[in-house]
Amino acid sequence: MRKYLLKRIFYMILTLFLVATLTFFLMKLMPGTPFTNQQKMTAEQIQIVNEQYGLNKPIWQQYLLYLAGMVHGDFGTSFQFSNQPVSYLIASRIGASAQLGVQAMIFGVFFGIIIGSVAAINRNTWIDTTATVLSIIGKSVPNFVLAVLLQYYIALKLGWLPVADWNGFVYTILPTIALGVGPLAETSRFVRTGMVDVLNSDYIELARAKGLSKFGIVYHHALRNSLIPLVTLIGPYTVALMTGSMVIENIFSIPGIGEQFVKSITTNDYPTIMGVTMLFSTGLVLVILLTDIIYGIIDPRIRLTGGSGE
Amino acid sequence: MKLGKYAKLGAVVALSSLVLTACGSKDNDKTAGNVVNWDESGELPGMDLSKATDQISFTMLGNTMEGLYRIGKDSKVEPGLAKKTEVSKDGKVYTFTLRKGTKWSNGDKVTAQDFVYSWRRTVDPKTASQYAYFFNGIKNADKIIEGKLPVDQLGIKADGEDKLVVTLERPIPYFKLLMGFPVFFPQSKAAVDKFGDKYGTASKYMVYNGPFKLEGWTGTNLSWKLQKNDKYWDKKAVKLDAVNYKVNKSSTTAYNQYKSGELDASPLSNEQAKQLKNQKDFVEREGAAVAYLQFNQDSKDATMKAAMSNKKIRQAISMSINRKSLSKVIGSGARVPKGMVPDKLANLNGKDFVEMDPVVNGIKHDDKEAKKLWSEGLKEIGQKELTFSILGDDTDGSKKITETLQSQIESTLPGAHVTVQNVPFKTRLQRCDTGNFDTVISIWGADYADPISCLEIMESTNGQNAGHWANSEFDKYINLSRTVDANNPTKRWDDLVKAQKVLLDDQGVAPIYQQASAWVVNPKVKDLVYNAAGLNYNWKNAYIEK
Repeated sequence: MRKYLLKRIFYMILTLFLVATLTFFLMKLMPGTPFTNQQKMTAEQIQIVNEQYGLNKPIWQQYLLYLAGMVHGDFGTSFQFSNQPVSYLIASRIGASAQLGVQAMIFGVFFGIIIGSVAAINRNTWIDTTATVLSIIGKSVPNFVLAVLLQYYIALKLGWLPVADWNGFVYTILPTIALGVGPLAETSRFVRTGMVDVLNSDYIELARAKGLSKFGIVYHHALRNSLIPLVTLIGPYTVALMTGSMVIENIFSIPGIGEQFVKSITTNDYPTIMGVTMLFSTGLVLVILLTDIIYGIIDPRIRLTGGSGE
Repeated sequence: MKLGKYAKLGAVVALSSLVLTACGSKDNDKTAGNVVNWDESGELPGMDLSKATDQISFTMLGNTMEGLYRIGKDSKVEPGLAKKTEVSKDGKVYTFTLRKGTKWSNGDKVTAQDFVYSWRRTVDPKTASQYAYFFNGIKNADKIIEGKLPVDQLGIKADGEDKLVVTLERPIPYFKLLMGFPVFFPQSKAAVDKFGDKYGTASKYMVYNGPFKLEGWTGTNLSWKLQKNDKYWDKKAVKLDAVNYKVNKSSTTAYNQYKSGELDASPLSNEQAKQLKNQKDFVEREGAAVAYLQFNQDSKDATMKAAMSNKKIRQAISMSINRKSLSKVIGSGARVPKGMVPDKLANLNGKDFVEMDPVVNGIKHDDKEAKKLWSEGLKEIGQKELTFSILGDDTDGSKKITETLQSQIESTLPGAHVTVQNVPFKTRLQRCDTGNFDTVISIWGADYADPISCLEIMESTNGQNAGHWANSEFDKYINLSRTVDANNPTKRWDDLVKAQKVLLDDQGVAPIYQQASAWVVNPKVKDLVYNAAGLNYNWKNAYIEK
């Protein structure tokens, strides 16, 4: 196990290094300068400012300087926000995105499991069909459409919840639902498929034959086993949600990181692009490692001995 | 159906939690007093006036800081910190006497030295100010920015605490107007030193000397407040207690908040603007920018170079554009242009620049004339047809524009084949710089309320003149306005009117629309000053009618 972990961590660092390198060079291929006022500056002015920011150095030097800074946890200063360190920018905006992502995931997985289980137990009845149709709708209606509808009807027309902003739990409800419907639909499909398989297996037959209650069978035997495939899904999904949804953040005026990331790319804000990319990829590789470890714990068929069983 | 119960239970739990939490949500923090809730389209990027680069920063700086002058209604210069101003006969030396007893929000006195410090800080190459070029024309500024002279050589001197002497290299007729722009405001050295790297990155890392103080801004958040500044010298004139700013990136959200009474203003999308046009809270604001087509007269392709250098071909293209229907396509974001200088940007003694000698040529639509000029032009360059591209941005709005131009030009001019290229903003700028285009839609926003801000970019030596249109007569008039006629406002305007006429008669560029924006604004908000150029809103005298 320890050897396996060490190996995995080594690969993780390698992956992150490759991501940093690729992103850096791809980013430098984008045309233009990071200066917001580029259009109004003459070529000479741009050259002068470039020198001051060290952007006139050869790219490989910039790259090495960048790597060195990153190792020390220094991502540089944002071009969009004058004087603002990227680490502060990320720190001040990741919280809202993370909270929203986790809430959406909890909401989605919780109701997804319920709907999926109910559908599986009542498979091939109208309940199952309804659940399937709802999941397909949930999966195919873009979340921003849902967000706009929720905002208009629930917040503006009915006045039950705030239209937008981020000042406490009530403000998170509508965006959570809008963002959570996707994972909800996905989870319910996964759980249904998994549970239909499990419900047909021999040991469930045995449990039934023993006279266990229907609830007991589903809760104690079927549900757990049908959730295993879900573990693969949840990890990366959570990272994706936590790192921000630009559209949902914009609609509900949430101070998250999603929009900032997109904006940093269109404005050539190099330090922010690198900072946020590295944050996302670190989150992702960590979650993948965690998922694999959890897998080993909950499913004894998978062994984490490193190498041999592939 | 025993298990269905759990599903039901779940639904009940979810619903009740929704309802329960909803009860606590009505907490409209409308504090008593004169307070306005305003919409902003994006974050406030920074409050360091030496480094600010955007409209939002400039607007907040303009309301929380004060320079020698303030810009009032119709870009009129109003008194700020300068109590008395003497200008030398040649217009090159300004002596300002500062108002006595003005204070920073920390209680320190605002002195002439604060101006000297601030200006030197901005032109200091170490500061890397993107707006340092505004100092062009002030003695030695350009050389200092390039690092060839030390900052203390800048043409600004403090004579005691209350006297400021500014020396220019050439007369700048709109110098007082510039003094109302935040890059020329004073800064407190004590504050810059005290806050160091954090200076201007959050509301607490700043000192203010304007009508308002900034509060509640953390540097990256989506709401902040302009709070009345009790230390402001003219605080009696300030009627508002606070302006609450909220960032909404979606205009639908802003409008919903406006409808629910949380905001006193909201920008409108095209669709919304169409629907709400006749409402009494509907407001249309002219922008300070004109979009225009540039023709690449220096193309690497010989045929293209010949075509775009041909006046008749340029005129034919321009005349085939139906600007009225184009601006309808764009919607509330555009109106028909009145020339290269935006409508309502600048006026002399109350008369708008565009009304001085209204432009006819260069922006008219005439399909018949266009066809005639087109065939003559093609004959002159020995071609039967011409394929050229229009380069534009890749936003939805910009795509609509390029497509409309494409269809208008192709359907009018026989043998014209137009391809459209929609690229990201930064790519468009780069391709303009390198001359990699046939025609390009450029947009230029005036920095200050003077026509020169829009016209000088077409001088043959100007870096913005991507099409390399060169006309000695045009250059001559621009130059006259800067030199011989600089101290004579009437003559100077006459030069600029003539320059624009030359530009458009020769179709050096083809203006296609003037930017605008549609808003709904609570009619109770009174005396708010909006100016298209420079800083948009001046809240000093505004109030909300009870």
